[in-house]
Amino acid sequence: MLKLRCFLHSAILVLVLLVSTNSFAVEKEYMLKAGFLYNFARFSQWQNPLDENTNFTLCSPDKNFVDIADTALNNRTVKGLPLVNKYITLDASSIKQCNMIFITSDTFEDWIKTELLIHKNILVVGENDEFIESSGHIRFFLSSGKIRFEIAPQNLKSDGITMSSKVLRLARVVGG
Amino acid sequence: MKISQHSLWTLFFVSPILIADPFEDSDLDLNALMEMDVQVTSAMKRAQSAFDTASSIYVLSKEQISKSGANSVPEALKMVPGLIVRQLDNNQWAISSRGVASRFSSKLLVMIDGQSLYTPKFAAVYWESLNVPLYDIERIEVIRGQGGLLWGSNANNGVINIITKNSIDTRGGYVNATTGSQLNLDANLRYGGDISNIGSYRVYGHIKNSNASKKGIFLTPSDTAKQHSFGIRADFTPNDEWSGLFQGDVTKSELGQNYRGVIDDTNVNMSFSGDVERTDSRIMARLENRMSPDANQMLQLSWFRQDGNQEFINENFESIDIDYQMNFIYESLQLDWGLSYRYSKISFDDSLFLESDKDLDNLQQFGGLIQAQYNIIPDTLDFIIGTKFDHNDLTGWENQPSARLVYKPLENHLVWSAVSRSVRTPTLIEFNDDYKVDGTTVLEALGTSTGVKAIDEYTIATYLNGNDKVDSENYVSYELGYRFNDDYWSVDFSAFHTDAENIAVISSNTNPAQFLPALGLFQAGLFQQAAQALTSTRIDLDVVSVGETTTDGFDVVLAWQIMDKLSTELGYSYTKITYDLPSGTVPTIGFDSTNRQIFTKVNYSLEDHNIFATLRVENSDAYVSDNYTTLDLTWNYQITPTWSTAFSGKNLFAGSHIEYANTSETYTLPNYIDESISFSITANF
Repeated sequence: MLKLRCFLHSAILVLVLLVSTNSFAVEKEYMLKAGFLYNFARFSQWQNPLDENTNFTLCSPDKNFVDIADTALNNRTVKGLPLVNKYITLDASSIKQCNMIFITSDTFEDWIKTELLIHKNILVVGENDEFIESSGHIRFFLSSGKIRFEIAPQNLKSDGITMSSKVLRLARVVGG
Repeated sequence: MKISQHSLWTLFFVSPILIADPFEDSDLDLNALMEMDVQVTSAMKRAQSAFDTASSIYVLSKEQISKSGANSVPEALKMVPGLIVRQLDNNQWAISSRGVASRFSSKLLVMIDGQSLYTPKFAAVYWESLNVPLYDIERIEVIRGQGGLLWGSNANNGVINIITKNSIDTRGGYVNATTGSQLNLDANLRYGGDISNIGSYRVYGHIKNSNASKKGIFLTPSDTAKQHSFGIRADFTPNDEWSGLFQGDVTKSELGQNYRGVIDDTNVNMSFSGDVERTDSRIMARLENRMSPDANQMLQLSWFRQDGNQEFINENFESIDIDYQMNFIYESLQLDWGLSYRYSKISFDDSLFLESDKDLDNLQQFGGLIQAQYNIIPDTLDFIIGTKFDHNDLTGWENQPSARLVYKPLENHLVWSAVSRSVRTPTLIEFNDDYKVDGTTVLEALGTSTGVKAIDEYTIATYLNGNDKVDSENYVSYELGYRFNDDYWSVDFSAFHTDAENIAVISSNTNPAQFLPALGLFQAGLFQQAAQALTSTRIDLDVVSVGETTTDGFDVVLAWQIMDKLSTELGYSYTKITYDLPSGTVPTIGFDSTNRQIFTKVNYSLEDHNIFATLRVENSDAYVSDNYTTLDLTWNYQITPTWSTAFSGKNLFAGSHIEYANTSETYTLPNYIDESISFSITANF
């Protein structure tokens, strides 16, 4: 009986170990994704010139991601403009301040609710299965532990953005 | 001028990114980001961050492979400092590290995407029939020495793990054709695409037709090759938690070969030329599950079959491997564990010079491994301890523990040390087979002349007998390494000392009583009858596990980014192996020897042109060959984004030379290796 109890304790401990996620691991994934976002910004063309802005603004409704991006992309510039990471709430006035938005899986439910918001001229990137169907432009996915992405050129075009062939070549191209 | 770290030969390391630090410029390159693993746990059977690995590791990058002009995996391996890569003829290779390379016993574990190519018949692989499209290789990880606990068994001298590209990264077409002085045609075709929104695939084909060498040792060379391959890989990623991989390859080879064997009553090794027909097939399926960002598991099923037919030897080998591995991190502890099972089916027809004395036609092996890595001082000191334990049908349970320490006193500096034990289970040649080898003359056997020429020159039938008293070879290694890495320089140094016992050696086990009738007739002056009586005698040589060896050495590799478009790599390797054998025994493979290698690589790019050169100075007394210096030089020209050409010279400087002349080794008969040139044209679309 004692042995059984010990076994159960061990099994529970292992389960606890497995479901507990250390922040280190999450940080690494978002740090890499921040690197991809920086590249998407570099290799995209906005129909409305960015010159009127003083910054290139990467927004996210996920505070955790914004903190990681602040570290990862410290002192970077995009098209000659300082890159600023901005934590926003998903409403029309906030979104207008952004050149690019990253919707994390924790904020995807909120994003769906804001689907009808106009995000013309804003590059919209996510990581959930239905993100492209929710008028997203680029969606991250994982393949054998590495980050890959799919792009919906039609969605991009209708929102006034074109992506360089250098990035398109690496992407899985999908319909909107 | 700040030079990107990424171009530093990719540092022969997959360099780690530091979490909570801003990105380096080089790591922000899109291609670099795509190579990085999301998981913080190291992927099984792969070194995630070579810089942090507590073993002597070298990562051969896809950029180096593509620029080198190599046409086969062994040719690509010539670019790995410290690896012994010797060519027997235009098809056969002897490859190892930290020991003696041999065609039949290199004690090196070779894998493709974690699928073992090890055959239990002998401790080596058939390099000549191995087909892996070089243009679809992501990287080749080479571990010198026995740092391969997670990789598998029989990795005493090292591990070579060939990692192929995910098919999502090889969508589109690829066509390549090469011709040259030695190679009539080597042509490749690959096409890849998406499988809906859940996966991707590629299919490829390869044909090769090559000439024989110009000069042989005993016979006119016949080492031509005709090869056809077909393969497929598909990757599935239905969601971020699960991914699957399926791949298969069939390669048919017709290889000309000079070889030797004892086939008649003369009992003397005869030399032959003949063709070997080989068919190698392999299938592998893998399922990976990301349980959380810091826990993952993997199940891999593999099937491997080799059929080889030639005039005196017909062999079939088949294996099925099932591997399950899981790893996770909890706070400062990373735990890796796994289970494995291997079933091998062996059919080796008895031939004139080879017979099996036990009916061993299948072997099973099962076991597990566990490794714990504890971060004692955050970002500074790690302790790794683990063991691999498994059971095999020949020697029962085996245990292979190791303990490692990784110390980072300063950023960019790393010191590691390791103590490990590994075993090599006997091969079937050592355990099961009786091999008729070159006979022994009476003069050689007695050491003195009988005064009768006919008797002195009579060659007594001689057999090398494997037997079930052979033990596993047992290796204990002590290693120490240091790495340094900055924007311009990197240094990788490792030193080792390995004590081995139970080394298989050869001991005479001849029954002297069988010679008494011949002796009696000789003493009676009946010389003709005495010679006749000798025909019923034999000399038996048994494989016995009584040898000991000591191996010492070091490897140092220095990479230097001289300017943005020019990088170099310099290496020096030293290995000294000493046998300690009881009197009356001789080694099976190798003998007291010292191996030295000087190594230089240069990579220079100018707009659409690139020059890539590898110079090796091989100095060794282990292969009964002269020392030699070879240069492999390739000029690559990117004509358009789609079309490119390359012009290569291989084995330059060395002239016609012998790389491997251990002709005392049964069966093997090498040729002179020639300088050669080749021209290739490639389209990527």
